[in-house]
Amino acid sequence: MRNHITSFGEFTCAHCGYLVSAAHSLSGVNNRNHCPYCLWSCHLDLFAAGDRLSACKGPMKPIGLTMKRSRNKYRLEARGELMLIHECADCGSLSINRIAADDDSESILTVFQDSLRHSHQKFRLCEGQGILMLGTGALQAVQVQLFGPRREALIPMWE
Amino acid sequence: MYTNDQDDTGVVFRKTTGHYIVHANGRDIDCVLSSLIHKQLIYPTADPTSLRHRVQDVREIDHVDPIAIGDRVRFTPFADAGQNRGMITEILPRLSKLSRPAYARAFEQVIASNVDLVLPVFAVAEPTPKWGLLDRYLVSAESSKLPVLIVITKLDLAWKNKSFASDLEAYRRAGYPIQLVSANTGMGIEDLKQTLQSKTSVLVGKSGVGKTSLLNAIQPGLGLRVKAVSNGEQGKGRHTTTHLEMFALDFGAAIIDTPGIREFGLWEVSGEELAYLFPEMSKFVGKCKFGLSCHHDTEPGCAIRQAVMAGEISPHRYKSYMNLRREL
Repeated sequence: MRNHITSFGEFTCAHCGYLVSAAHSLSGVNNRNHCPYCLWSCHLDLFAAGDRLSACKGPMKPIGLTMKRSRNKYRLEARGELMLIHECADCGSLSINRIAADDDSESILTVFQDSLRHSHQKFRLCEGQGILMLGTGALQAVQVQLFGPRREALIPMWE
Repeated sequence: MYTNDQDDTGVVFRKTTGHYIVHANGRDIDCVLSSLIHKQLIYPTADPTSLRHRVQDVREIDHVDPIAIGDRVRFTPFADAGQNRGMITEILPRLSKLSRPAYARAFEQVIASNVDLVLPVFAVAEPTPKWGLLDRYLVSAESSKLPVLIVITKLDLAWKNKSFASDLEAYRRAGYPIQLVSANTGMGIEDLKQTLQSKTSVLVGKSGVGKTSLLNAIQPGLGLRVKAVSNGEQGKGRHTTTHLEMFALDFGAAIIDTPGIREFGLWEVSGEELAYLFPEMSKFVGKCKFGLSCHHDTEPGCAIRQAVMAGEISPHRYKSYMNLRREL
């Protein structure tokens, strides 16, 4: 059986103050990168996810969503893995990060909706680093990824 | 029985349980330890002139072993043993020492004493170098004010580790001298011999990096036992050398071979002084926004973090600093 090693056990989110567990059984990822409640992160990695080589340690704001490119050229782009784009508030560097299993889907949708108000300059900045930030046209694809294809049908049952 | 009037001095070359081989006047003398060395005599703490100066108590000294390889000792030869056996009665003051904590950091273990140069030995591959361990050796040597020469062995396996040249660059930039050698091809051995001349050096490194093979290459006549690393993915060593020993070399040098050390803690190093022990960081200490109170972690205006981001300090070295800082 594969061992899932996390960089640290648990931490308090510097942005929202919630206690966050980095356990693989909760998040489904080996390196817990961001708070599952507010989605803010900390600039810890430099070259690769989990290397913890960055000395910046600044807060990273979730600024939008992107789709991880699939290696399968026949696969629809919309079916790629949804990723968060973080921007460091101190040094301005961008990174894309996997969404964890326990991330709040409503918060992710809010990040996406807020990202639609970004200037073209921000979109171009991401593009310059090879990150295609999702725009208005991706709303349905994002909703499907976050809530499944029949969200509208399920909501009345919860309420 | 031993004679009190024939005290002599020598250097401890080898030790086994309860026995110390002391090299003196070209001879090896098998010595035992006087029980007095294990004890500390307690005198009255009041003004010595007001009380009779007599021993109040005898306390056992807590240590792993009072004698380290390289120690200069005074010994008394046994009269009835052909001058080849004796008893160590005194340890002469140490000029330098390389130590690590032992038994849950409770005691000091002196690996070698009276050395002039520390040689951390790392292999290019098989086993894969652990640079964090090298940082520990370097900090320990800096703390003991001992000069260091980083020795990289198995240069003939360079094709197996493409990143080692860039990894080493951080140490070169920090000002550490580096010697690349191959015991198989003999590359770099002559240069190393010149550096070691008239010095007492200690080889440290994890098991399987080729410390003893290097020693055999430096002085082929030694014929010390070596083994190939295991065939696993990491090429781990097999702990072939099991004891510390000092060797006198033909070209006027002495070298201490050590068994592979997997863990190396820091002894008598505090968190506050740690940044001073990283030469490339020391010049930034005190220049942070919070001055000497800065932990160089998440504090705003930290000069060391800014230097890392500006490329003046290697991020790997900074990560090692943070790892060590958390331990202390």
